[in-house]
Amino acid sequence: MPPPLDTRLSFENLRRRFGRLSVLEGVSGEVGPGELLLVTGPNGSGKSTLLRCLAGLLAPDRGTIQYREDDRVLETDERRRRVGYVAPDLALYSELTAAENLEFFARLRRTGPEWGLEVLRRLELPTDRMAGALSSGMRQRLRWGWAMLHRPRLLLLDEPFQNLDAPGEAATRGLLYEHLDQGGLAVVANPSSLEIERVTHRIELGR
Amino acid sequence: MSPIASSWAAEVAAVFVKEWRCEFRTRYALNTLALFAFTTLVVTSVSLGPMGIAKAQGSAVLPVLLWLILLFSVAAGLPRAFVQEEESQTATALRLAATPSALFCGKLLYCLTLVMALELLVTPVFLTLMSLGVESPGLLAAVLAAGGYGLAVGSTLVAAIIAQARTKGTLFSVLSFPVLLPLLLLVVELTRTAVAGGIGDMGSTAGVVLPQLLLYDASVSVAGLMLFPVVWNP
Repeated sequence: MPPPLDTRLSFENLRRRFGRLSVLEGVSGEVGPGELLLVTGPNGSGKSTLLRCLAGLLAPDRGTIQYREDDRVLETDERRRRVGYVAPDLALYSELTAAENLEFFARLRRTGPEWGLEVLRRLELPTDRMAGALSSGMRQRLRWGWAMLHRPRLLLLDEPFQNLDAPGEAATRGLLYEHLDQGGLAVVANPSSLEIERVTHRIELGR
Repeated sequence: MSPIASSWAAEVAAVFVKEWRCEFRTRYALNTLALFAFTTLVVTSVSLGPMGIAKAQGSAVLPVLLWLILLFSVAAGLPRAFVQEEESQTATALRLAATPSALFCGKLLYCLTLVMALELLVTPVFLTLMSLGVESPGLLAAVLAAGGYGLAVGSTLVAAIIAQARTKGTLFSVLSFPVLLPLLLLVVELTRTAVAGGIGDMGSTAGVVLPQLLLYDASVSVAGLMLFPVVWNP
């Protein structure tokens, strides 16, 4: 991964409503190379909605999102394909093995599966097992392998350590800190701030 | 081929291979299509078999039945193309990784091979059971190819539109009607012509209607490629 010195994500005054229910209202933030933005708040405060907006999976009703790589602002379509995204509602194909899933998505991302498979090896996930036969913790490890597949500069992590046992959590934390050490950006949504270290920016929702 | 075009083609191929690999392991669409086709063929042959319908009426009525069997078999299996992605929550991963046009074409290619396999299975059995002779087999093959493509592309487009809706089954029927009705009118007309023989008036019917069918296929393909990125992404 080239040193991502010119990578920056900023968002301003984001608003998102579902019908009459206002989930996000005037949320702003910024994160640069090697920085981690932590988003906390109780259930239903809009953490996942914010991450889905940042990933380009949901369009905000109001406000702007600007993601810059190498002095170029990426359009939403391009941003969507660049980010690494881990979330509880993201599933891979249960009829395919972990390795087949990564090979399929590597072809879509126009890259090789090697780095994703290396991540799975570090996370001690059996790559020949069907995704549908994995435990919830193993599935979370597979999500990490999938998110890191194309070596993204921006990681969007929604409850990234959910369902992981102690070794799994330590291994994924290692990946996150390695990503930050290499100048990557991360936005982490978590109900509690206690579990996350190396936070450089913080947003508390639902207050 | 340019690197961009070859990467795009590789994406299409990856989606196509993934669809068939998942299908061979679950056999959902294959079983649904085969079961529906088998049931309707048996019911039709028992009710209207060679002894049950006059030959003159048969060449007018049986092409309609053939396409109804194909349509409802397709309607039973193909809407899953995108609905399954939403229901199993794999759509998010696809949205983040795939080029929309490549995804649409990969799914379309999968639906097309499924429809072609269905036609290859159903048509000879139907013609044999009904003792229905075909005067212009070449025209029938062309109609099955172009009509099958129309069914596949129309169903793929409608499946993509309904995937995020709550009442998917109802919506598929409602949207399929205006999309597939012109196709069915054209293919039934052409199949009748193929059965009766492509000479005289019938030959000129084929000359007028076949280009209309090809135009339909081209129009729905272009509409699908233009609409899909809009309905697929927020």
